[in-house]
Amino acid sequence: MQKDLESKFLLDFEQNQNIVHKICRIYTTNQDAHNDLFQEVVIQLWKNYSKFRGDSKFSTWMYRVALNTAISLYRKSTRSIKTQDIDDFSYRIKSSEYDNTEELQLKALYKAIHQLNDIDKALIFLYLEDKPYKEISETLGITEVNARVKMNRAKDKLKNILNP
Amino acid sequence: MDLEQYKKSWENQPKETNTVSNVDIYKMSHSKSSSIVKWIFIIGILELIFWTSLNFMVPQKYMEVYKDFKIMELLKATTVLHYVVILVFLVLFYRNYNSISITDSTKRLMNRILSVRRTVKYYVYYNLGTIIISNIVLMIILLGQPDHLIDALNPKGLNVDTNTTITIFIIATAAMVLIMFLIIWFFYKLTYGRLLKKLNKNYKELDNLEHLH
Repeated sequence: MQKDLESKFLLDFEQNQNIVHKICRIYTTNQDAHNDLFQEVVIQLWKNYSKFRGDSKFSTWMYRVALNTAISLYRKSTRSIKTQDIDDFSYRIKSSEYDNTEELQLKALYKAIHQLNDIDKALIFLYLEDKPYKEISETLGITEVNARVKMNRAKDKLKNILNP
Repeated sequence: MDLEQYKKSWENQPKETNTVSNVDIYKMSHSKSSSIVKWIFIIGILELIFWTSLNFMVPQKYMEVYKDFKIMELLKATTVLHYVVILVFLVLFYRNYNSISITDSTKRLMNRILSVRRTVKYYVYYNLGTIIISNIVLMIILLGQPDHLIDALNPKGLNVDTNTTITIFIIATAAMVLIMFLIIWFFYKLTYGRLLKKLNKNYKELDNLEHLH
């Protein structure tokens, strides 16, 4: 029974692992912290997996658990941040078939997102992932109207950072 | 540049090349959490143990002193009441902790975490309040029977001034309470202050929103 659940979890996770990496990339700025947060998300997902009923998509459920971990549970690592790490994540988003302009844009986007507060980060992330407002409001626990207001403000903040 | 263009770059970003293998995911999923909730739970339990054992640590010998003042019954009654209150707090603490669910919405989750913290906070307030009130009541009772008090404070019958002895007694008690307060305040700054700084900030960020309309 436990074995079945474990292999099902691993299968579900494997297909959605990238979501967690993206969340770790926006909430942390160095590899150590990225790995720390990634591990904490995995722990929380597995701990609660038996309660996952499958009435929503695994990925939807995963968004919620991963964001909650990043915003509410995760304690920033006290390890010192090596400055060269900050731009380091770009090595992982480099790819030969990837257009250079887009790569620069993506780097600028991540850099700008890092300057937002935790809640704005979540809002922008859900916007970039093309989530409907209904899901955004349910994930964060605020009304849809408030989610829209808050989203517009977060977008404005992001625009100002990107185009000062 | 329009945000939509950035969004396109986001959508086109390549998948993480540094993927974690299933074996590592398995290992990770079975490792120990270091989440804020876990720390609050550990510190909360330690605090409950600390305050409860403090009550047990007062040697019986000290209580003998109160026999002369004929307040043993009162002391027994308040002790029983105290344990009932502790029990209620323990139940509340456990229930609040149990109601934390990471699959709740972010706001609700944070609210639950903060309410676990609040239970512990009220427990500490209760203990501090009890210390102060019981000390004041005790002092009033003791000062009401100055002859017994002098006997208790100066059992060897040394030749000291009565007024000075009583003044020292009052100052010493007040100083003890003050020192206790400072230690506890400092302890909170160090533990919960650091743990909950980020959570409180994020909670306010979400909560402020509700008051916009």
